[in-house]
Amino acid sequence: MRREASLYGGDRGWSEFLGRSLTWLCGGALAFNILLVLAILSLLAWNGLGYFWQDDLVEFTMKDGTRVLGEIWQEEAIAITPEMPAVDRLRLKIGNRDITGLDFAWIDRANIASQRKPEDAVLIERLEWGNFHGYLRELHNGGLVLAQGSEAVWRKLLPLLARKAAERDRIRDLERGDIGDINYDIEKLRLAERRLDLAGLPATELARRKAELDQEIAAREAEYQRLADQLSQMRQALTAETLVAQTAAGETKEIPVGGIVSVIRPDSLGFFGKLGLQVKRIGQLIVDDPRESNTEGGIFPAIFGTVMMVFLMSFAVAPLGVLAAVYLREYAKQGLLVRLVRIAVNNLAGVPSIVFGVFGLGFFVYLIGGSIDRLFYPEALPTPTFGTGGILWAALTLALLTVPVVIVAAEEGLAAVPRIVREGSLALGATKFETIRKVVIPAAAPGILTGMILAMARAAGEVAPLMIVGMVKLAPTLPLDGRPPFLHLERKFMHLGFHIFDVGFQSPNVEATTPLVFATALLLITVVTVMNLLAISLRNHLRRKYAGSAV
Amino acid sequence: MSNGNDQTPWRRRAADRVAHWVVSAGGLAIIVSILGILVFILIEVWPLLIPARVTVTRQLVLPGPAAGALVADEHRTHVAALGRDGRIRVVRLSDGRVVAIQDLLAAPERSELVDMQVPPESTTLAASTRDGRVVIAPVAFTVTFAGQSRVVTPEIATPVALELDLERQPLQSFAAQIDGDGNATAAAALADGTIAVVRRSMTENEMTGETTESTERASAQAPYRITHLVLDASQQNLYGGTEGGEILWWRLQEGQISEMQASSAGRSPITALNLLIGGRSLVVGQQDGALSVWMPVSHGGEADDEQSASARMTRIRDFPAQPGAVRLIAPSPRRKGFLALGDRQLGLYYSTSHRTLWTGTPPLAGASALVATPKDDGALVAGSGRLASLDIRNPHPEITLQTLFGKVWYEGYGRPDYVWQSTGGSDDFEPKLSLTPLLFGTLKGTFYSLFLAIPLGVFGAMYVSQFMHPVYKRTVKPLVEIMASLPSVVLGFLAGLWLAPRIEHAVPGLILAVFLLPLAVLLAGWGWSKLPRAFRGRFPLGTEALGFVVVLALGIWVCFALERPFEHLAFDSNFQHWLLQATGLAYDQRNAVVVGLAMGFAVIPIIFAIAEDAFTNVPSNLVAGSLALGADRWQTVTRVVLPTASPGIFSAVMVGFGRAVGETMIVLMATGNTPIMDWDPFNGFRTLSANIAVEIPEAPHGETLYRTLFLAALLLFVLTFVVNTVAELVRQRLRERFSQL
Repeated sequence: MRREASLYGGDRGWSEFLGRSLTWLCGGALAFNILLVLAILSLLAWNGLGYFWQDDLVEFTMKDGTRVLGEIWQEEAIAITPEMPAVDRLRLKIGNRDITGLDFAWIDRANIASQRKPEDAVLIERLEWGNFHGYLRELHNGGLVLAQGSEAVWRKLLPLLARKAAERDRIRDLERGDIGDINYDIEKLRLAERRLDLAGLPATELARRKAELDQEIAAREAEYQRLADQLSQMRQALTAETLVAQTAAGETKEIPVGGIVSVIRPDSLGFFGKLGLQVKRIGQLIVDDPRESNTEGGIFPAIFGTVMMVFLMSFAVAPLGVLAAVYLREYAKQGLLVRLVRIAVNNLAGVPSIVFGVFGLGFFVYLIGGSIDRLFYPEALPTPTFGTGGILWAALTLALLTVPVVIVAAEEGLAAVPRIVREGSLALGATKFETIRKVVIPAAAPGILTGMILAMARAAGEVAPLMIVGMVKLAPTLPLDGRPPFLHLERKFMHLGFHIFDVGFQSPNVEATTPLVFATALLLITVVTVMNLLAISLRNHLRRKYAGSAV
Repeated sequence: MSNGNDQTPWRRRAADRVAHWVVSAGGLAIIVSILGILVFILIEVWPLLIPARVTVTRQLVLPGPAAGALVADEHRTHVAALGRDGRIRVVRLSDGRVVAIQDLLAAPERSELVDMQVPPESTTLAASTRDGRVVIAPVAFTVTFAGQSRVVTPEIATPVALELDLERQPLQSFAAQIDGDGNATAAAALADGTIAVVRRSMTENEMTGETTESTERASAQAPYRITHLVLDASQQNLYGGTEGGEILWWRLQEGQISEMQASSAGRSPITALNLLIGGRSLVVGQQDGALSVWMPVSHGGEADDEQSASARMTRIRDFPAQPGAVRLIAPSPRRKGFLALGDRQLGLYYSTSHRTLWTGTPPLAGASALVATPKDDGALVAGSGRLASLDIRNPHPEITLQTLFGKVWYEGYGRPDYVWQSTGGSDDFEPKLSLTPLLFGTLKGTFYSLFLAIPLGVFGAMYVSQFMHPVYKRTVKPLVEIMASLPSVVLGFLAGLWLAPRIEHAVPGLILAVFLLPLAVLLAGWGWSKLPRAFRGRFPLGTEALGFVVVLALGIWVCFALERPFEHLAFDSNFQHWLLQATGLAYDQRNAVVVGLAMGFAVIPIIFAIAEDAFTNVPSNLVAGSLALGADRWQTVTRVVLPTASPGIFSAVMVGFGRAVGETMIVLMATGNTPIMDWDPFNGFRTLSANIAVEIPEAPHGETLYRTLFLAALLLFVLTFVVNTVAELVRQRLRERFSQL
């Protein structure tokens, strides 16, 4: 020990202790990082999956005789002033927004006289006004009473709901299908008329053609009227039956059965019943359209918009990135210039995404889009067609944002292809291009694919630039539909990331929508994380495969 | 070239050549167009630097005596000119024809005019007469369409005449205003040294709809030789200039004139006086050519209320003096700019940015009237029987380096300040486009996040690369990479909606955690080292760090369990209250600490990955040598590995910095986005990037705000690009050095 101590001129024991302590602190830093990741992932998983889980409805009878029915969301002990003892209180989701005006209520534990879980308490998910908590009483059709009493209504209601859901589907098909088609046609005819105005035809010719168009429009409008009548009849039929339900407080409420999405009795569902419900709800979130300005219902258009935008982006980014990488690695003369270009391209990946958004707005939307409008869509001006944010511009902006990722990964892939392989191919008489096309690129494909996946994952999660170049809160139509030309590149679209921002921060009832945002966030990070893991494992596989073989 | 292919060698060679050119051209084009982003952004910013251009487009003959007041229509087709003979002539600018003539006052009332003006923020012709009256006539131009062509018809309302001097003496200087309801005020300096003010109010009987007219009269002593008077659009503030260079200010309220306030602008007589749009800035021109802008500034300095009693007229800025006396000042009807015409110079100025945008010779000699056109795209000058029409191209007068980065004294402020406030409620709003608070916010957010991310990232990486068994390394690294891939919108959402409301009540726990968690780790480490060596030896190196995860989780739980007692002890049981009392800082729910945590989380993996690379790439012979010489693990790491890898660590920090600077969604969602400047950790801020996201969707294409936001983007681009390039170069040099070792 003595001899060792003089090595660094200090007391070995002390310095060793200090070194060990600092090592532990470094370990602590790492542990903290790991804890953070785990905490965030589990936070998202817990809250996100919790959104789908149905809790029991509990009916509380308070000491003053009033009753409340709700799901317990939170329990806390709160001290109003430091001197007073803490008060235990419960936060209930009480639903019935149309009656109480609030989704949540706080009750003090001290004021509770009794509590129970009534088997026949129902949770009615409605198209409007959120959920209803209460008890079934009667089922009416006009003045006719179809059923009375909780059990009888429950039995009648379930088949009726299935029928109503089918009716709602038919109404939606009519609205979106036939009526949508007619509106679309009328709009096109109107634009055709404007185009005639701008064409500068001789007066008689103009009048004749306009009369033709007017006739067509009139025919369409008559058809529209017919369908609109049919629609209003169907709507009437939909709301024929009404359900009379009673809240825990004793108020009765008439709910049109056509406006009910589902009715469940949470307290009579067992664990597996609830699990089934959870799975069903996850499915609904994915396939349903949003309701109540995005705060309820599903997120299908956002998923669709995200996926489609990412695919469009991939179509743009794959050839561009690979071409640039092949040029840099195989054709360009390796020197200072190429080295600088490589650094520049690399660093472009570090340029803030919002800068790309600004560029996309100025270049794609205003410059290119504006020019396209002036050349090809003058009849619609001043309403812009391409001169406003849309899915094409969003995809191209993201392509620019992610092309450095693909270039870097593809270059890495190309560089990893052993020289022996190339030389072998060249020695067998293949030209350089043939070697690249048939030998090098296939061998580098995993690297290119890794880059593509990373790019797509980044694009799926990126929000800031898209806020500027094409995303909207609520897009009435998908960018892909059954009307020619089928793919509508100029349309605005919905996006999962923007959905999170919008619903989480701009909706009037943030408290009630936070769970939905958690679910959306969970979906988004699942997609992004799976893609990233895929890319990582692909890359590792690639590295192992070529490790040591690169001569 | 051997064969074995069904194509001919010639065709294959041709294909090869074509491919060569296509790939080279395509690859180059892609790379050039990627780098073209910078060029395009520069092109969009460039117009901010283009100077203003003023050109004389037309000179016409203006019949009648010299015009003293001009009103032009919005499309610059017609002008109404009021001559000394009391006649309004409407002249068509395309050919100089007089299309209409109307007398300001009808025959029996007619009188020769003494002085004429267009009151600020109006299209009204006003004049004082030789018999002591002030006449006001609003002018409007209506636009109708006949087929495709536009027809502009001038309409001159019935003039309102107010009798200022009961002795019917000529009025040398006067001011007047009329509003849409017909309420009018006129003021004039009388021969006997008093200021007379007459107010005509129209009151409408709501039952009958009849309007009744009433006049009030007030006067005050003014022991000065007044040369000019001007009344603001609210008809509440009257300003005057004197022969002795004083600036006078009266407030008019409910028929009363307040005490006069006089400030000196130097000895030289005041020869021109006008108010900029909004009526808060007074432009003063003097005999010696001096040109200055004055504003009422509250004496306390802080209060944003020039109506308060302590407000005084203050000289805010001086423009370069003109070579001769300044004769006419015409404010822009849209912005805070103005034209000043002197004996020997015509100048275009902008108040906020303190810019002299253009100067040139006057288009005609002996000018008697000057007006800026309603769209601020031109001006008209009348004098000596002629009328000159000027074209003004002046797209971005608001921007200078000083307005972007320096302190500017804005209207209604007690002192020069850095302010970002791009839009306001009214048309006469003065845009405040200082990027300094945004740069400050960017640096503040970056500072707080790096404060967390650098130690966690660097030390974590050091541990993984130096003290951990490869088995663990293989799982830990992807875990951290996943951390990097989390979309920032999700982090922002968690920070803003989950973390911020919880931190609000948990600051004491957080403070406690900063001290307790390292302690807990040390204790756990010590405990681990006391375990029997045989037991420890069963686990790979670095297992204790995994144990620390549990320890930390427990530690955090303990911290929050101890929070209430701690808050009670240290912060008087209420942290926010204590904070306000002890430091005077208010607690903002979405604050820098929240952003620091969330953005720190986003930056950690970036720093971690690059730093880990740098540590791992330190040649193993160095490490082995050090260990062989008897240094222990920690000594080797701190004295051999760390110095060798330090450029890599630097580069990691730089890249992390670049990421934090450009992060948008997290700051957008987790701060209040208020552009304020202080380092208070419990206050919000606004960054350059969030500012772009918030404002660019509303910014009109091609306008100053739009281009300023492009400039902000350019700043971000250049900043991150430079930082990343430096980091990359450092890293490459390091790699070269390692390869030589």
